[in-house]
Amino acid sequence: MRKVLDALYAVALAIACLAMVAIAVLVLVQILGRVLDRALIFAGATPLGFSIPSLSDFGGFLFVASATLALPATLRAGGHVRVSLLLNIGGPVVQRILGILVLMVALGLAGFATWHSGLQVLDSWRFNAVSFGMVQVPLWIPQGVMTLGFGLLLVAVADELVTALRGQVTSFQRAEDQRSAGGH
Amino acid sequence: MDLLTISIILVVTLFGFLLAGLWVGFSLMAVALVAMELIRPGLGGSVFATKVWGSLNVWDLTALPMFIWMGEILFRSRLSSDLFRGLAPFTRRLPGGLLHANILGCALFAAVSGSSAATTATVGRMSLPELKKRGYDPDMSIGTLAGAGTFGFLIPPSIILIVYGAATEQSIARLFLAGVLPGLMLAALFAGYVMIWALFNRDKLPAPDPAPSWADRWDAIKALGPTVALILAVIGSIYGGLASPTEAAVIGVVGALMIAGFTGGLDRVSAVASLQGAAITTCMIAFILAGASFLTVAMGYTGIPRLLAEWIGTQGYSQFALLAVLLLFFVVLGFFLDGISIVVLTTSVILPMVMTAGIDPIWFGIFLVLVVEMSQITPPVGFNLFVLQSITGRGIFEIARMALPFFLILVLATAILSVFPQIALWLPNTMMNR
Repeated sequence: MRKVLDALYAVALAIACLAMVAIAVLVLVQILGRVLDRALIFAGATPLGFSIPSLSDFGGFLFVASATLALPATLRAGGHVRVSLLLNIGGPVVQRILGILVLMVALGLAGFATWHSGLQVLDSWRFNAVSFGMVQVPLWIPQGVMTLGFGLLLVAVADELVTALRGQVTSFQRAEDQRSAGGH
Repeated sequence: MDLLTISIILVVTLFGFLLAGLWVGFSLMAVALVAMELIRPGLGGSVFATKVWGSLNVWDLTALPMFIWMGEILFRSRLSSDLFRGLAPFTRRLPGGLLHANILGCALFAAVSGSSAATTATVGRMSLPELKKRGYDPDMSIGTLAGAGTFGFLIPPSIILIVYGAATEQSIARLFLAGVLPGLMLAALFAGYVMIWALFNRDKLPAPDPAPSWADRWDAIKALGPTVALILAVIGSIYGGLASPTEAAVIGVVGALMIAGFTGGLDRVSAVASLQGAAITTCMIAFILAGASFLTVAMGYTGIPRLLAEWIGTQGYSQFALLAVLLLFFVVLGFFLDGISIVVLTTSVILPMVMTAGIDPIWFGIFLVLVVEMSQITPPVGFNLFVLQSITGRGIFEIARMALPFFLILVLATAILSVFPQIALWLPNTMMNR
């Protein structure tokens, strides 16, 4: 189970990274196309007028994918910011109880996010909503990726909650402790 | 239920969740949900889905992961070790000597990275041991670093300004350019303070080094030249209207990869780590942005920001009085909230009020960033303090005391910026348009 979940988070993070690389590559191709056109104009030739269609739409979709698919890995790496003031003052017992409480609230909110984001996907699919650009992308696809990201966050929060309830140290707590102990 | 009761419930909910240690993005979502349930029960879910989708599916935001990635690559390259070596020959003859390498190093690294914590960590890892070895006053070494480390937010590319621009629908290019002169002004103020301090505290400084040889200088230029060229290419292409912020950021990523590739220090492992680090930081910010977008709409339903704006409109306060009150409020918030959270809370609740008072939103973005910089060095929650704590092993409050002069200079800088708003607004107004 542990291995399956870890692999799941790792794959999601890898896809998030690939989405970032894709943004960079698409934008770079666009820039090179423009530079080539300028050079052609300079040399007296006709410019090719090369551009990637709907780049701004795809960029937005890729950003959503990169941001949401990294959610579980970011949670576990202690990447999401939070105020640790009371936790640090309170000592281990307070830390444990508060840790379980906030995980329960987070579980509810992640469930809320997944459910309503999922309903939106369903709506987009039912009404054939598409993006406005030249290339009309059915919106349920990128919205579905966002829902998937929230769903994976839900799984990751539940995972951490189980860990905390078993009395073990959660993954984000370990990461935060390591950082404050000077692991920079 | 009247608005006052609702406001109190929301404030208590927000700070209750935040202090309990619930992640900021989740806390914002929770407050927004409570607000929606109080005002329009049952509507929260669909508003959440549309707003979060709308706030993340934004082309301008693609600049965010690109700039973060560029910083992550250079963070892992040899730049961090070259930075101090390259600046030392040029600064060691100034009054205050190598303390200026801290300030200049931070300004330089801030121009390739949008994060204050990364700036502090990168410069600090190299400079603090060197300064200690050469017998510089530790209080001043750590203080200058804590203060100058905050440049990351102001000098473009700035992560905070991208967040502000995305949340308020302002031009990120203009915000970036607005940050250039105030950033340089702040660096000059810091350097000026160090020089004056050095004149009065000669006993806390080592004897001045001999003047650098031309070979030293040439070495230094070779070490820093590519990075300076990259900075000029990135900011210049935005200023010249040649590239959008995203395009400039991608040029930055390619340039950073080339610098890291030629100088060594970036292998396969650290290349993957830079990508993952960038994805995680992007995700953290996007999650807060998502929560904030939901909160902004929920607050709109409650009518609280509008009421605040009307109230301010009828009071006839001068802009200075309003800014002074806001400054105080932000400094208090900064004691326990991080910069990005302050920015998104501001844009959700306070911005309508600021606009009513006739304050330019671009200018206010720069003002806000200065305030956020202060929050980085105020205890008990200040990210630069945390970074320095992990490098030096000193206590948070001790480091905050060393950084206090620089905190006061930041306050002075906001005053100067309020009296002379053109310091921020002049450069973007001269920007060439495509």
